[in-house]
Amino acid sequence: MRKTYIGELEEVVLLTVAILQEGAYGVAITQYIDTQLERKLSISAVHATLHRLSEKGYVNSSMGGATSERGGRRKRYFKVTTAGSRVLNEIQDARSLLWSQVPPNILAT
Amino acid sequence: MKRSSLPPKWINSLLTKVCKPELLEEIEGDLLEYYQLWVEKYGSKKANRLYVFHAIKFLRPFAIKKSKSHSSNSLTMLRHSLLLSFRNFKRYKSSFLINLIGLSCGLACTLFIYLWVNDELSVDKFHEHEGQLYKVIEHVKFDGSGVTTWKETSGPMAKALREEMPEVEFAVAVIPGSWFGKTSLSVGEHDIKANAYYVEKDFFNIFSYELISGNKDQVLSDINSIVLSEKLALTLFNTTENVIGKTVEFEQERQFQVSGIFENIPSNSTAQFDFVLSFELLKDKPLGVDSWGNLGPQVYAVLKKGTLIDNLNKKVGMIIKNMYKESTRTPSLIPYSQDYLRGTYEYGIQIGGRIEYVRLFSIVALFILSIACINFMNLSTARASRRVKEIGVKKAMGANRMAFVFQFLTESIFITGLALVVALLLVILLLPQFNEVIGKQLALELNANLVFRAFAIVLCTGLMAGSYPALYLSSFNIINALKGKLSSSIGELWTRKGLVIIQFTLSIILILSVLVVYKQIGFVQNRNLGYDKDNIVHFKVEGTIKKQLESFVFELKKIPGIVNASSTTHDMVGHNWSVGIDWEGRDSDKPISFQVVGVDYDLIETLEMEITTGHSFSKDFGSDSKGIIFNETAIKAMGLSDPIGKTIRFMGEKKIIGTVKDFHFKSLHETVEPLFLVMMPEAVKKVMVRIEAGREREAIEKIRAFYENFNPGFPFEYQFLNEDYATLYASEQRVATLSKYFAAIAIMISCLGLFGLAAFSAERRMKEIGVRKTLGSSVFGIVRLLSEDFTKMVIFSITIALPISYLVAKEWLDSFAYRIALEWWYFAFAGLSALLIAWLTVGFQTYNAARINPVKCLRDE
Repeated sequence: MRKTYIGELEEVVLLTVAILQEGAYGVAITQYIDTQLERKLSISAVHATLHRLSEKGYVNSSMGGATSERGGRRKRYFKVTTAGSRVLNEIQDARSLLWSQVPPNILAT
Repeated sequence: MKRSSLPPKWINSLLTKVCKPELLEEIEGDLLEYYQLWVEKYGSKKANRLYVFHAIKFLRPFAIKKSKSHSSNSLTMLRHSLLLSFRNFKRYKSSFLINLIGLSCGLACTLFIYLWVNDELSVDKFHEHEGQLYKVIEHVKFDGSGVTTWKETSGPMAKALREEMPEVEFAVAVIPGSWFGKTSLSVGEHDIKANAYYVEKDFFNIFSYELISGNKDQVLSDINSIVLSEKLALTLFNTTENVIGKTVEFEQERQFQVSGIFENIPSNSTAQFDFVLSFELLKDKPLGVDSWGNLGPQVYAVLKKGTLIDNLNKKVGMIIKNMYKESTRTPSLIPYSQDYLRGTYEYGIQIGGRIEYVRLFSIVALFILSIACINFMNLSTARASRRVKEIGVKKAMGANRMAFVFQFLTESIFITGLALVVALLLVILLLPQFNEVIGKQLALELNANLVFRAFAIVLCTGLMAGSYPALYLSSFNIINALKGKLSSSIGELWTRKGLVIIQFTLSIILILSVLVVYKQIGFVQNRNLGYDKDNIVHFKVEGTIKKQLESFVFELKKIPGIVNASSTTHDMVGHNWSVGIDWEGRDSDKPISFQVVGVDYDLIETLEMEITTGHSFSKDFGSDSKGIIFNETAIKAMGLSDPIGKTIRFMGEKKIIGTVKDFHFKSLHETVEPLFLVMMPEAVKKVMVRIEAGREREAIEKIRAFYENFNPGFPFEYQFLNEDYATLYASEQRVATLSKYFAAIAIMISCLGLFGLAAFSAERRMKEIGVRKTLGSSVFGIVRLLSEDFTKMVIFSITIALPISYLVAKEWLDSFAYRIALEWWYFAFAGLSALLIAWLTVGFQTYNAARINPVKCLRDE
């Protein structure tokens, strides 16, 4: 199987899903990214990203119970799959590998 | 949470319709959750906006329902259709060429007419105040002749509008310099002639003739100011810079200071002039421009925004009646740009004008394009048998009807697109010639508007041409189609015939129209006008000539090659000076208006008018300067049985010394009105010279030399009377030339179609021809057999076309007071020529088919 890469936004969303664990649904993810990274994403962008991730098999989802807020509509909760955690780890490793080879002082800010 | 605030419903229903049902719940849920945050943060108004905005952002591929048709497939189908069209064109070259030629000619005509119509519609509409810009006209009641509409009014009208009507922002009186002919201007030794406009102060505030230099409120404030056009400034001073304040000599008698320069006037302006002078200049002259009693000056006004024109017109209509109880004049404001296209009035009601030509040519364009489309329909349906297998197989494979409709429409739009390219090339190539015929400077400017319209034309034409074949071909029954059986129903055959009949009907109408227009123009040009218009040269009386007219004419007559010379107040083309007079023995109060022509000795002889009773003005009779000569219509109108010697009151007492045979002094659209000639050497404006036939060039050179010597500072500019006369009918002449070409194109396209059909039917009946020939039929017999059908169709179209064209021709001729009678042979000619053309077209094909060796076509059976 060809190796699948994920984009930067997908990585951020996937990590957020991992962080939020049981509470990972659209609004929560968007707001978490907003507060932690000060990055304003539109809700539809997050939905689109989640959709892509689930097509690639890095997340799976299940509908929660009925809610009283949001007009009684259910939430869709996301969970990182094993493939998802593998790809996150691979990214982490690849970065570390490269970072370790960067000569000291060259990226001084 | 506030229950009261809910997002707009429509956006939710949109989401429900468009989004995938499995995603809808979470999308809506998340949006609503955000919505409640927004309501708390920004209030419900902004929250609503944000909600809609974010909801719309959800309309992206991942969330939207997949439509049933596969979008990638339709592209493949399009490619497939285009490929098939292309192969079809390659295979059946003749019908492809016929269609291409027909459609491209049709489209080229349509484009030409589009350009022309577009230009006509743009005339006088470039002014900034368009919509607010009005012109004063007057409806004047006359006993007897009903209501006459004048495009002029009295000079004080402008002041009245300015001062009495609060709705009027600006108003000016204008007198075009054409009243006095071209004016001579000089700078130093440089003399030229140019067209003047005498206008009141706010002229440049009303009309958008942009000033290059000078202030539009100021340029006309001084009576000695002159405003030049860019072009005139360049000819006089060779520059447009620092011209302000320089002096221009006017008619060698008065000096003006340049106060401004305006941009050259665009060709789509009806007012054309080279320089502008103050209206005040004319107030001292005995022209009556400052009196309510005289109709002549033109008055224009700009109204304030929001003015109700009907209410204003009620007030304006009473302006004159409030001052003069007896007056029958009703002034009225009409939109300035309306006058060009809709300038004809009858009984005070607007009835048409040039807009009729615009409509006429638009219809002709539509005619020609439909003829070309009919060719396409006929050839496509006639050749259906060739594609019947293709359709059968496709249907068996599950193609639905829409797929066929799509395919055939693609084909027709494709060929129309190709035709448009050819048509554009034709237009670019022929535009100079077209411009010459119509007397305009049109250009094909490639702008977004044109591209868009061209695209629309292609789409419409393609759909029009392709619709019938598409519906017809896609309706085949699968089984019959696969068997190769083509049940040509009676209805279908009739449709095809009907289309040919329509084509020929249109062509015959066009042929007859051209014939009638040409005959009438010829009639007009050659009609005996009551005087001899040929070999007459005329020029303006000005400068020294004005002061020493008698000696000038006397010397002029001595020049060899000159038959006679005299002078007059009016030339003979278009006349407007009418008065009411009293005469001895007048017995009714019914007012008759008489046209006045002021003349000098010898005018009647110079123009070779015919004196019917009495004698002409002559120095031999001492009292002739008090004489008056009427035309026969006038004598009849006055009811005088023995007119000679009767006394007339017009500028003092005058005696009738003779009568002259009626002559035409206006275009033949109008009947001859009562008219009289009086001696008025002090008021003449034109010198008329009769030149010996065949010596024009030589004589004119001699006149020029004499003129320039006699009248220094005035360039010699002359005109031939017969050319002026021809310009009276310029628009008819243009219509004639244009309709000639359009008729030729229409016939050509029709014949192309007929040719295609004949070729096809001969081809399909090849076996029949072979059998007939082996059984002993002659070539002629077969030609007759094959042409019979077409002959019937053409004869049928003749019977339809003739009554229609009769009505059309009669309608057009009715606009002339003097016209040709519609002779039967015009119709015979139009019909027979159509028949003959059809025979020639078909005959060539059928003759070839009939001569074939039967062995060849029967061999493979």
